[in-house]
Amino acid sequence: MAGIVGILAFDQVWNVSKFLYYSLVGLQHRGYATSGVALLDGKIREKINDVPPEDLEVDIGGWAGLGYAGTRRGYPVVTDDAALVIDGVIKVDLNEFSKRLVTDPESAILSAKGAFSLIALTRDGNLIAYRDETGLRPLALGGFGFDMGIIASEPVAMWVIGGEFRREVKPGEMILMSRLNVSTKQLREPRKAYCSIEYVYQARIDSYVNESEVYQVRVRIGELLAEERPLEADVVIGVPDTALPFALGYSRRLNIPLELGFTRTGSPIRTMLASDDFLKIVGVQLKLNPVRGAVHSKRVVLIDDSMVTGTTLKNTIASLRRLGAKEVHVLIGSPKLVSPCPYGVEVPEEKELIAANLREEEIAKVLGADSIHWLSLEGLRRALTSSSLCMGCMTRSYPKVIQ
Amino acid sequence: MKVLLIGEGAREHVLAESLGNSSESYRVYALSSYINPGIMEVVRKTGGEYLRGNVSSQEDVREAIRTVGPDFGVVGPEDPLFHGVADEFRKEGLPVIGPSKTCSQIEKSKVWMRELMWKYQIDGRLRFRAFTSLEEASKFIMEYGGSVAVKPSEQVGGKGVKVVADLQAYLSKEKRSALSRSVDEIGSLVKSEVKIIIEEKVDGPEYTLHVLTDGYSYLPLPLAQDYKHAYQDGIGPETGGMGSISGPGNLLPFITREEYEKTFEIVKRTAESISKETGDTYRGFISGQMMLTELWGPTVIEFYSRMGDPETSAIIPRISSDFGRILQLAAEGRLAKAMLEVVPEPAVVWAVAPLGYPLRRDLASGKEFQLDLERMREKGCKVYFGSIAYEGGKLISKGSRALELVSIGDFEESSRRLESCVKLINSNTELIYRTDIGRGIWEQQDKAEIVRYSYLNRVKRGTLGVSKDWSPNGGLW
Repeated sequence: MAGIVGILAFDQVWNVSKFLYYSLVGLQHRGYATSGVALLDGKIREKINDVPPEDLEVDIGGWAGLGYAGTRRGYPVVTDDAALVIDGVIKVDLNEFSKRLVTDPESAILSAKGAFSLIALTRDGNLIAYRDETGLRPLALGGFGFDMGIIASEPVAMWVIGGEFRREVKPGEMILMSRLNVSTKQLREPRKAYCSIEYVYQARIDSYVNESEVYQVRVRIGELLAEERPLEADVVIGVPDTALPFALGYSRRLNIPLELGFTRTGSPIRTMLASDDFLKIVGVQLKLNPVRGAVHSKRVVLIDDSMVTGTTLKNTIASLRRLGAKEVHVLIGSPKLVSPCPYGVEVPEEKELIAANLREEEIAKVLGADSIHWLSLEGLRRALTSSSLCMGCMTRSYPKVIQ
Repeated sequence: MKVLLIGEGAREHVLAESLGNSSESYRVYALSSYINPGIMEVVRKTGGEYLRGNVSSQEDVREAIRTVGPDFGVVGPEDPLFHGVADEFRKEGLPVIGPSKTCSQIEKSKVWMRELMWKYQIDGRLRFRAFTSLEEASKFIMEYGGSVAVKPSEQVGGKGVKVVADLQAYLSKEKRSALSRSVDEIGSLVKSEVKIIIEEKVDGPEYTLHVLTDGYSYLPLPLAQDYKHAYQDGIGPETGGMGSISGPGNLLPFITREEYEKTFEIVKRTAESISKETGDTYRGFISGQMMLTELWGPTVIEFYSRMGDPETSAIIPRISSDFGRILQLAAEGRLAKAMLEVVPEPAVVWAVAPLGYPLRRDLASGKEFQLDLERMREKGCKVYFGSIAYEGGKLISKGSRALELVSIGDFEESSRRLESCVKLINSNTELIYRTDIGRGIWEQQDKAEIVRYSYLNRVKRGTLGVSKDWSPNGGLW
């Protein structure tokens, strides 16, 4: 999982490093274990570190650059010919690939196997971007006034710096951006298979990805959860930040008051992305403290975005009970995750996924919940406006085989 | 009857065509600095003569008037107007389209324009500061956290506006220092004492209203919108316009009848105020380059003292009545007699430029073009020649937008038609054009609707046009 961004100034008077930096911070919800930038000013220099974008010290400048925030080390990759950032999975030798990319971008891209969005910056100052025909990974196109062109995983990367989002890059579309032109070419016919996880918890709620307003989709998921599992309860609470719109939709539909059930300690770092089990447990207790006044002597509906091992949720439920919750019913805003993702989304191995291994009643017992319900596959389809989805991690049926 | 047209761009080609097609059977004469193949065609067809010379030189124009002996004149571009070319016609007692040198200040001097708007309390005015020293201007930019637009105080051929939106305060140091550097750049190009004008920055969809006046009557043309970004999807540096749309009807899909009328009133009042201020009657085109903003609704960004390019090629081909005759009536002070009829369908214009426009004119000059005009016309596209010359039997680019392709019909249909026409152009360089002109109309409607909530709310609260900025050192502005 990654957030990627490329920025090019049409006038070399600009130093884009700060723009790149804040864009990247705007994408850190997509992954923050490691981050880096590469900037072109005569030559390409990079700065990479195993820290979230916020903590990355960018002491280099340039009029064009790339940024990466994610879970894979070493990005941006800088070769003799170009710098590259990739979200997703690409099966190529990057040195070889970047050489071909510079001389003949079209054939280089057509020969690359994988499911990915990529942005490359050549040494002579051209941005080359491609979103593969499935559109599994998002990619957006925009600018900053008359001064810069921007390509990024999500429009938020543009909005946080005051830029303008123009449109999403189409699946199968290549963008060539230089100081003298921006041209686009449809290299392959789209075979859309948008990642369901983007809608459910990956993208930011103020974002627009895969032809949808993320916030609206999430509220609708909450409403559909209410249709699927209307509960007798006194309050609805959602786990920040992703599950809050679910809770809002659920509350509205059933007229059960929405309460702010948690408050945060420290900066919002996604517990699911934390690599270490201990960190996950400490993480959830340290970062999300339940609010006693919101749950004491109440029958509580607790909504979360997804469940992997169930460890974090088990801890949360125990905390809620300690604070006086009379009942805790758990709703999950996504269908059961039962299978890993071959396209680079960090869904763990099947053996680590509780929903792939246990029946619902058993899971409720493990969690210590009064009841548990996952959004149905049908419910998710109904919540999304696009019918062309990848639901591989929920159905074990994948849209694209990568050799 | 003889008419002498001054200028050589696509706008003048459109004007030449409407004169050439008039039922008045004008003989069209033209003075251009290079041979525009489109104007040449009209001149030949109507039995006129094509003169070459400096269109901004009073002497060359005087000479042309003497040679041709026209019954009236039409001045297309702004630069000749700034140099008093329309005055040359009037000195000879000849009717002409185009304001005097004095009146054309409304376009030439941004400071004069804003001062006039404030003095006569014309709606749609913006707060501004004028600076004679670049240091002061830079200091002001650094001081005010509020959003400002920095412009050269006078028209400097194609040098654009630098705009800074300061919503993202954490970046402002970078933005401001880039701006201060561009302030130096702008200042070095401006000859007058006041170098820089800084205005409050506004946001919203842009549109243009052209009004033709003979000093007695005012004839508003259909609204048009031009697309300023050089590249596809609204990305890239500022240009004179890479395309435009006009219609349906007299409006645009995102501007209401009330807003159109309000805009007309603003432009008309401005022309009247210019006449009052200078004692010289404003005659010719005056175009409001407008923005629909939350501050005022219709808001003036700048005025043109002539028709816009490429707006002209979106507007005039939609006029079904005799526009050539309307020009003559306006020149002669009989505009009240004019009948303007417009086809209901909108028009879409694509400008086509050689690679290098607008940042590297050197790369965009001297390139060869070939086009299959006949097939383009068969497909329903009109073709106007702009920055391209007929030299030694070849079409050679002059560094700016070489061609403008026009299609009349609904937006989507026109886009498809233009897409097939643009393929019939060949060049020994890559071509720059935008296929998104007139597409994504709903986004503009949404943008307009958002500012409409706010300005209508201001009308209700009686705060239309009221705004302020404050900085700890500079105080209230």
